[in-house]
Amino acid sequence: MSGPAAGRSFAGPAVLAAFCLLLASVSAAAAQDVRDDLGRPFPLPAETPRRIVSMAPNITEILFALGLGGRVVGVTRFCDHPPETASIRRIGGLVDPNVEVIRSLDPDLVIAFRGNPLRLVERVRRLGLPVFVLDIGEGLDGLGRLVERLGRVTRTEGRAAEIAASLRARLEAVDAALGGIETRPKAFVLLYGQGLWTCGGASYVNDLIARAGGANVAAAMPKKWILYKRERIIKDDPDVVFILARSRADFEAGRERLVRMPGLAGVEAVRAGRIYEIDENAASRFGPRLVDVLARMAALLHPERFGGPA
Amino acid sequence: MSVRSGRRIFWAVSLFLFLAGMVLSLLTGPVMTTPADLVRFLRAPDPVHAAIFVDLRLARAVLAFLVGAALALSGAILQGYFRNPMADPFVVGVSSGASLGAVTATLLGFEAAAFGFSGPGLFAFVSGLAIVSLVYVLSLRRGGFKVETLLLTGIAAGSLASALTSFLLFMRSDSYDRAVFWLLGSFQLAEWSQAAAIAPWVALGLAGSIWLARDMDLLALGDETAQALGSPVRRVRKVFLALSALLASLGVAVSGIIGFVGLVVPHWVRLLIGPSHRRLFAASALAGGTFLLYCDLLARNLLPAELPIGVITAAVGAPFFLYLLHKKR
Repeated sequence: MSGPAAGRSFAGPAVLAAFCLLLASVSAAAAQDVRDDLGRPFPLPAETPRRIVSMAPNITEILFALGLGGRVVGVTRFCDHPPETASIRRIGGLVDPNVEVIRSLDPDLVIAFRGNPLRLVERVRRLGLPVFVLDIGEGLDGLGRLVERLGRVTRTEGRAAEIAASLRARLEAVDAALGGIETRPKAFVLLYGQGLWTCGGASYVNDLIARAGGANVAAAMPKKWILYKRERIIKDDPDVVFILARSRADFEAGRERLVRMPGLAGVEAVRAGRIYEIDENAASRFGPRLVDVLARMAALLHPERFGGPA
Repeated sequence: MSVRSGRRIFWAVSLFLFLAGMVLSLLTGPVMTTPADLVRFLRAPDPVHAAIFVDLRLARAVLAFLVGAALALSGAILQGYFRNPMADPFVVGVSSGASLGAVTATLLGFEAAAFGFSGPGLFAFVSGLAIVSLVYVLSLRRGGFKVETLLLTGIAAGSLASALTSFLLFMRSDSYDRAVFWLLGSFQLAEWSQAAAIAPWVALGLAGSIWLARDMDLLALGDETAQALGSPVRRVRKVFLALSALLASLGVAVSGIIGFVGLVVPHWVRLLIGPSHRRLFAASALAGGTFLLYCDLLARNLLPAELPIGVITAAVGAPFFLYLLHKKR
């Protein structure tokens, strides 16, 4: 065998080995990639990002719960929980965040949530910023997963697992208390303010009511928010009304408006006085406080199961 | 003051306003920047200021200018075409047709980009052209047409397209931000790729209309006279209609419906520099672009949240148009 040929036969396996090594290192790097909820690969940061922009109130809330409050440099004008968010730079609203402000904050992580217009999110991404988009389904079971996803992308997996476990435990406690209920009181949800706005079957509020042992009268409507008709409420005859309100005064105003509507005096919830206040701030965000809302709704729908009068 | 020096003043003032508008666009925005910041950036570029000055503000200013130029030129062509100063892309139905296409694409989920245009952009262009061709065919009778028939057909077709657009948007009540974008216009999502995609077409439209400007001058004398003077009237009319549809659809495709630019700017330019179409087309493009540049400055700086630009152009354009109408009487 001549020299060059031998060289070639020796080089073959070497090249192959080098290629395998390369493949191995590529797949090792790929293992550090996660995908966001749009299915786009996202290079996982080696350590916790230092400058995080949150594009939604529930995301802000969870970031603070993960102990990352000090690293959040931009929030929406709706981010008011916890109170420490007050001093953070506002990037605009949920549907109108300002791309220029976001870029000027020079973030190393931008977290978007459903409700942010996709085209704006894409615009931010094309400016070269690392954008992670979250869109967990509308079910309450998604809460734990949302926290874990956020923990993963911010490299606070440990804390996230603790919070997710506690959320799941509290959900299960409510499930256990409601085990074997025989009736599902009909519930109507009313958003404070003008018009009879309520939540349809596509909203997580619908899931909230079902999980709390009730039946949303608007569940059959496949939308998130709908303008309800007065005649329908009379026909549905709900046992309970939940008014999502920002303050006691908003709730009182909403209740007055409802009970004074012609024809509603005969509705069961109005006759029995079962009209209750729900904290709009907690109930309108897909965040950890939804579990508190769930516990309250369950106790109001099934007082007999929660130590109240049957 | 002679006519010629009046024209010189027009061009000088327009150019100055254009340049001043570009500088103002670079310096103003939700993030505070000073001229010193801009100078510092030009000497030693950094990624944050590169994004703010170049990718966001400059791209937006250039796109607003191009769209303004396209809309005003489209309006100038249509006003000559119909020998009627009330004509503009909206009256003929192009804008409504284009927005119907864009909204349809959005709701069907055609978001992918091709040739630098988004899915809605391509649909806007195709349906804008389709509706103006339909209007053209419907109003063409036995080898000739009446301008009144064409205008009324355009209004009817445009109203139908608008009604369909509203219906589609109403069906999908969760797409509020999109509805505002398509119905009232915005440059919030402006990008260099959009400016690069429409720039060649705007340039082509401008070159084509200037090249045929003399034929447009002849059309002002009436179709028979123009024909007798050697202008191929039918062919010229077809080319101008296609050009105006192309220009207006370009505008709608990248920034939604923006009203009054195509109506007011050519009108105003004609008063200042006279009716010769060669000058009118070039001047309308410059003035329209500059006009929209300033409207966008207002849209993004007037309030803490951005205003749709259609609100600004209507607020500035409609009273001016009413004033013109009143003065005429």
